[in-house]
Amino acid sequence: MSEGDLRVFAGYDRDFTEEADAVVVGSGPGGAIVAGELTRAGYRVVLVEEGPPFTPGDYEVDGGLSMARTLREGGLRTTVGTVMPTMQAVALGGGSLVNSAICNRAPEFVLDRWCEDFDLSDTHLSDLDPHYDAVAETIGISPTPEAVQGRRNLLFRDGCDALGFSSEPIARNVRGCRGSGECFTGCRSRAKQSMDITTVPAALRGGATVLTSARVEAVETSGDRAIGVMGRIVAPFTGRPSHRFRVRARAVVLAAGCMATPVLLQKSGGIANRSGQVGRNLQFHPGVGVMGIFPDRVEPQFGATQGYQSREFLEAGFKLETLWAPPALLAVRLPGSGLDLKRRLADVPYSAVWDAIASCDRSLGRVEARRSGFDPKITWRLNPDDTPILAEAVYRLAEIFFAAGARSVLCGVHGFPDEIHTLEEAEILRRRTLRPSDLVLGGNHAFCTTRMHGDPTRGVVDELGRCHDLENLWIADSGVFPRCPSVNPMWTIMALARRTALALAERL
Amino acid sequence: MMPLRGGANRRLSFRAMWGWATAAALGALGAWGCARIFVGYPPPSGSPQALRRRELATLAAVAEALFPPGGEIPPSGSDAGIAAYVDRLVAASQPRQRQLMRALFFLIEHGTLAFPAPGGLSGLRRFSGLDASQREAVLDAWQHSGWFVRRLVFTSLRALCTLGYFADPTVLRRLRLAPYAIDTPVCEADLRYPRIGAAASSIPYTADDLTPPSDGAPIDLDGPWMAGFAEDAD
Ligand SMILES: Cc1cc2nc3c(=O)[nH]c(=O)nc-3n(C[C@H](O)[C@H](O)[C@H](O)COP(=O)(O)OP(=O)(O)OC[C@H]3O[C@@H](n4cnc5c(N)ncnc54)[C@H](O)[C@@H]3O)c2cc1C
Ligand code: SF4
Repeated sequence: MSEGDLRVFAGYDRDFTEEADAVVVGSGPGGAIVAGELTRAGYRVVLVEEGPPFTPGDYEVDGGLSMARTLREGGLRTTVGTVMPTMQAVALGGGSLVNSAICNRAPEFVLDRWCEDFDLSDTHLSDLDPHYDAVAETIGISPTPEAVQGRRNLLFRDGCDALGFSSEPIARNVRGCRGSGECFTGCRSRAKQSMDITTVPAALRGGATVLTSARVEAVETSGDRAIGVMGRIVAPFTGRPSHRFRVRARAVVLAAGCMATPVLLQKSGGIANRSGQVGRNLQFHPGVGVMGIFPDRVEPQFGATQGYQSREFLEAGFKLETLWAPPALLAVRLPGSGLDLKRRLADVPYSAVWDAIASCDRSLGRVEARRSGFDPKITWRLNPDDTPILAEAVYRLAEIFFAAGARSVLCGVHGFPDEIHTLEEAEILRRRTLRPSDLVLGGNHAFCTTRMHGDPTRGVVDELGRCHDLENLWIADSGVFPRCPSVNPMWTIMALARRTALALAERL
Repeated sequence: MMPLRGGANRRLSFRAMWGWATAAALGALGAWGCARIFVGYPPPSGSPQALRRRELATLAAVAEALFPPGGEIPPSGSDAGIAAYVDRLVAASQPRQRQLMRALFFLIEHGTLAFPAPGGLSGLRRFSGLDASQREAVLDAWQHSGWFVRRLVFTSLRALCTLGYFADPTVLRRLRLAPYAIDTPVCEADLRYPRIGAAASSIPYTADDLTPPSDGAPIDLDGPWMAGFAEDAD
């Protein structure tokens, strides 16, 4: 196969049409894997991505400016209902460009329940393991070495050890991580194995065509078949549309992400929606962050962005992990103003931030296309029955902080002291009923808006990712999860996407 | 035409007077509103990319109230150039987000009409016209409001200003949180992607420029800062 072709915004000078065996929309973990596998199988693939490729020269180390450049709605996207920020990237590589590279296999109990509750038969851990293994090899998944953990991560381990909670170094898709803690703004060490530097170049080597700054605006259909996609070239950052393009293909794979794929289906005349489930069932792993202040400097800027985790409470509904982000983004959560705020900012070098992601599968929402534009309306409500899970997670994080020697803890819960100095003070979290708006939430893991279900009247795709309604339309992003996976989703997205790609390759 | 009877005449002239008085009151209110919103703001010091002088004035006032001079980190909000930073951020944002940010500034600046600062009538002045202690009191009230939306306005505004404060190299160096200088390896992707906005022909690398990948050596905490954050960059 001859070398493929990558096109960038400056290279488009007219409307055009491409022909392919398969067109893949979106180059995040889902789409990039599908494009790579199909090219490897010898098919002619066009991968279409709305965002541009980022080179290290394009990274902004400043958190705010970086968000404005790499994220949808400048990083200010929020849900309505329960207001919660949610981030989706718009870049070659999708979320893998900005994420922390955490890789977890979905727990066996989660996948077993998926199978039971959604009429699936081949989505047990043993079914997905070969796909997880193949992905791990491609993107170099391995546990974070101790040398680049940094004190911020190791204190978490110490706290867990002191309490007898299980914990482990996080497995990540990195090669040669230097512990710069900059995963969110782009890895200047080129250690993070994001899709733009791994699977996309591999697809190009295999002959794929990659259109960047190209926004798909509709899937074209004829009868019960998808016949391709059409869209516009869009300027990086402003999204200003220019030339039109079409890709004609025998199969269409949507991997535009859990927020964008349902919008595309809705804007294409409501296709693939006989079940009525497109855009519905939205779930997140809502997250809460807690900061601990230690008596001596932690130097939290050093260490793998997220290097340690505890699955001790997975079955209770939450997973605990360490966290770092550009200091400005962490500091925005600090309470107070004036000299009091400055005092707290001065504490940042003495601090560590740890977070919890929760499995709140009673808290549901939906994604709807707006009349104009492609940014979705995202409605979601934290179910009051899920609030105690998050309160307990905050309590456990405080407990680990104090066990690790923190002198104070900032829980970030409204109506609760800004800073506590003993675990007894945190007990109130367990006694008081919190309202959803008392919590400062964030939700960057989003799922289920085109969920898989064995029953075509209750889901959009089957177990392999094929739409129940259109036999050559496939979906390969986190929207196909039938329920939240309880752990960071990227590896599972890629494992499922690989299975989808292999199934499609057999049928093409 | 039938002459109007006295009562009807009086009603008409009363109605006319009422109409005029209402129009005059509305006109005066409108003029006062316009003056409150548009007049009397100082010209900006640099050349802003996106924000209007009134928005810059609000931001400068908020920045100074959130980050006053002194305390554990010497630079104040003005020293750190928060207003200029937020201007850059707004310029880099998409139209809908710009509108949201503008709405934030407006709400804080004129929210004193609904939630006045202490100090009687002077507490109704726009935020940027209040004195330091009044500003502090206003922000405190937004921050601790029992009403979620008011807290959200405050935290969003504080978030924007904190981003600006932490973008200042002096602040970052003081906390030893500035980014480190890192030698970025040249990998296969660098042979394929030009800088954003540039043509493929501008890619500066060939296969000869490829370097060994990162060896995983931990960042040196005593190593130099990244260009632009070092002392000599000020
Ligand atoms: C800050 C952050 C940190 C995270 N950390 C982790 C982590 O450490 N581990 C983990 O497992 N998960 C993490 N996640 C979540 C993870 O990154 C996402 O779940 C994952 O990227 C989703 O993959 P995807 O392929 O479904 O969609 P995406 O990654 O969102 O990719 C979709 C792609 O499609 C493109 N696209 C959208 N619409 C169109 C269109 N109309 N035309 C063309 N292209 C389009 C988008 O620009 C995007 O590039 C993180 C997320 C964020 C935001
Ligand atoms: S911690 Fe730093 S070196 Fe390691 S993968 Fe993230 S950005 Fe790269």
